[in-house]
Amino acid sequence: MPALYILIPVAIALVAFAIWLFFWAVDSGQYDDLDGPAHSILFDDEDPKHKAAVTQAQQQDTQHDSQEPPRA
Amino acid sequence: MATPTPCYHCGLPVPSGSRFQAQVLGAPREMCCPGCQAVAEAIVSGGLEHYYSHRSESAANPQSLPQALPDELALYDRSDVQQPFVEHDGELSETCLLIEGISCAACGWLIEKHLRALPGVSEAHLNLSNHRLQVRWADSQLPLSQLLKALRKIGYAAHPWQADAAAEQLQRENRRAMRELGVAGMLWMQVMMATMATWPEFNIDLSPELDKILRWVSLFLTTPIVFYCCGQFFRGALRDLRTRHLTMDVSVSLAIGSAYVAGIWSTITGQGELYFDAVGMFALFLLAGRYLERRARERTAAATAQLVNLLPASCLRLDADGQSQRILLSELRVGDQVLVPPGALLPADGRIVQGQSSVDESLLTGEYLPQPRNVGDAVTAGTLNVEGPLQVEVQALGDATRLSAIVRLLERAQSDKPRLAVLADRVAQWFLLIVLVVAAIVGLVWWQLDPSRAFWIVLALLVATCPCALALATPTALTAATGSLHKLGMLLTRGHVLEGLNQIDTLVLDKTGTLTEGRLTLSAIHLLRELDADSCLALAAALENRSEHPIARAFGQAPEAAEQVDSHPGLGLQGRAGGRLLRIGQADFVCALSTQPVPTITGEHGQWLLLGDEQGPLAWFVLDDRLRDDAPQLIAMAKAKCWQIMLLSGDSSPMVAEVARQLGIDDARGGLTPDAKLDVLKQLHSQGCRVLMLGDGVNDVPVLAAADISVAMGSATDLAKTSADAVLLSNRLSSLVQALHMAQRTRRVIIENLAWASLYNGLVLPFAAIGWITPIWAALGMSVSSLLVVLNALRLTRP
Repeated sequence: MPALYILIPVAIALVAFAIWLFFWAVDSGQYDDLDGPAHSILFDDEDPKHKAAVTQAQQQDTQHDSQEPPRA
Repeated sequence: MATPTPCYHCGLPVPSGSRFQAQVLGAPREMCCPGCQAVAEAIVSGGLEHYYSHRSESAANPQSLPQALPDELALYDRSDVQQPFVEHDGELSETCLLIEGISCAACGWLIEKHLRALPGVSEAHLNLSNHRLQVRWADSQLPLSQLLKALRKIGYAAHPWQADAAAEQLQRENRRAMRELGVAGMLWMQVMMATMATWPEFNIDLSPELDKILRWVSLFLTTPIVFYCCGQFFRGALRDLRTRHLTMDVSVSLAIGSAYVAGIWSTITGQGELYFDAVGMFALFLLAGRYLERRARERTAAATAQLVNLLPASCLRLDADGQSQRILLSELRVGDQVLVPPGALLPADGRIVQGQSSVDESLLTGEYLPQPRNVGDAVTAGTLNVEGPLQVEVQALGDATRLSAIVRLLERAQSDKPRLAVLADRVAQWFLLIVLVVAAIVGLVWWQLDPSRAFWIVLALLVATCPCALALATPTALTAATGSLHKLGMLLTRGHVLEGLNQIDTLVLDKTGTLTEGRLTLSAIHLLRELDADSCLALAAALENRSEHPIARAFGQAPEAAEQVDSHPGLGLQGRAGGRLLRIGQADFVCALSTQPVPTITGEHGQWLLLGDEQGPLAWFVLDDRLRDDAPQLIAMAKAKCWQIMLLSGDSSPMVAEVARQLGIDDARGGLTPDAKLDVLKQLHSQGCRVLMLGDGVNDVPVLAAADISVAMGSATDLAKTSADAVLLSNRLSSLVQALHMAQRTRRVIIENLAWASLYNGLVLPFAAIGWITPIWAALGMSVSSLLVVLNALRLTRP
């Protein structure tokens, strides 16, 4: 089983890399919210009505750029 | 009357004859109030109406969110105000906002979509776990105040959020727990491969050289698991040993430590069995159990913990020539004069210099009726100005206010909190003692028979009886129960609640806002003329709908609006509705319209308002603080459990005795200050009582902090919620009854789990003692017994 002499160091290196990658992911906050992403894929981003409203809002904005912002 | 339709937006009942509607998802939907209507229309016009098909919970009612005035929001555009919480990066600014009003995952989608569609916003990300919104936007295109307004338009309140030391520590701890879990998982799998190859059961024909290499590889990979991941168990064990307690941590540390040390020995000598995979499995299972338990508790607790808004963020300061200017509370100085409009919170302790009004002090004192206040009277920070505008000279600010005195009392009370015994630790103590004694005996016997095997047999015994299932028994049950309770509307913020609820023998209750609704509702209409009750109510509601006064909400929504409504602070309202000139309010004021004599008041409780027209008085409206519908249910349950029940209220009115009579509580005390409430609790503690406290106001806060277990209402002040161990988000007392049932079930499951884990260990002990247990049997037994414990705990997720 001479292959093991190479495969064992390779396995250890891979684990070390995986742990490094995992630490990086945790530190960049990817595991901070474990609830939201599970739901967000269910929502439809490509809703035509939403897209229409976004373009409308952007058009309005370019037209009335100098005007005072709308009052809530 | 038929059950009212729920509001399509917020789920509250729609008053009959409501005229609020919005076109959502292709059909007209009934709304309860103009607030919900406006929010629904804003959502639909933004093309985001899919929110309504995605959501799993009703939205929050916009009126239940804290009020925000446009000029208060505008303060956030000042660069000195923004400085602590906004970071600038070239064109773009970045900030973190804490969002109030989030009820389900669809809210996150709605907020992100809505903001990203705004011009100038480049990034918006909401963390659903802690309700924090990270936004990057171009400040030049969109001022921060407009961003906050945009959120308010779709029904959410946003507060600038700054990480304090506690929040940062919490995040560090969470990330560290996640890292430990990940490292243990990844390394364990490698260790398992290397270790298992050396087991004779798998019959791999290893050369002695390779066997040695694999042993060293497993040792190398196990070392980080022991020193990095299991550090918390060893630290815990050390702490408990110093205080002379044998706890679960001691047991766990002993098992991990002995298996690891023996592994080193076996690696160096090349003889004996390797138990490194057991170390990894044990570490992973335990860390996973603790991680899940921590997350279940912190999920929404983190979101409420940050919001301790007892005082308004800003106030109106009057300068020398009587002009008012909105400033931040931190800019206010003693001796300044502030203008407090009706419906606003008082920003500081002070003395009234102009105006007369009534002040709602219920959260501070428990008095349920607003107290009249005139020129020269003292007013307290954090109380609500109800009727007319007040001009107040500031006398005390910040730490010098009466409110802060209560907060300091809270800190003192927290240190007095007793610790409830944890069942698992008591079991662990006996378990550990038995295992150590048996190990010693077995070791001695084998020493006589075959000294070369004695060490390995004692080691196998220690590892095989490793208390994995025992250590998982409690966290898994608590995690499952915490999750189900959250669904029932009760949020546990501290770990001891579920186990502790079974040890309670005394129930201490607050009155205003806890047993009662905590707001004035219409309790009776006494007719004085020919007009019937419904018409009188419609007229009164038409007038009151034009008023900002908190009392006005008690009348509900009117089918038609009144015209020419004038407010006379301290007296009442005048306006035209149903073709007549009407007045509602103080009896003298109303009767002055018709110059008729004032009719007599025929009852003693509550606040009496008169409605009259030019011909004379029409009807009395009695407003009162109503008992919650499920209060009797809670009291009945407490009596069934033979608990001692006490009502401690700050209210000095006869209402306390009345509530106690209605509910059948024998021991009711009124007019108590926060200090006096705390003294009663201390007295109970000195008698050895285990106290469950239920409250909501600032005056309950010290008692909530010191009670064995405290529960705050969902409508409670932020301070009460953060100092309590659990929050009734649903605001229903029946949730507490359900929680007690759940606590009993949890206790049963914990006992079952502990019994099973002990039984398994008892069964395996003789086999280990006669030397039949090899690492493969130890690993199998450990995983099967842990799996059974987890499956048993999962039963708690079913209601």
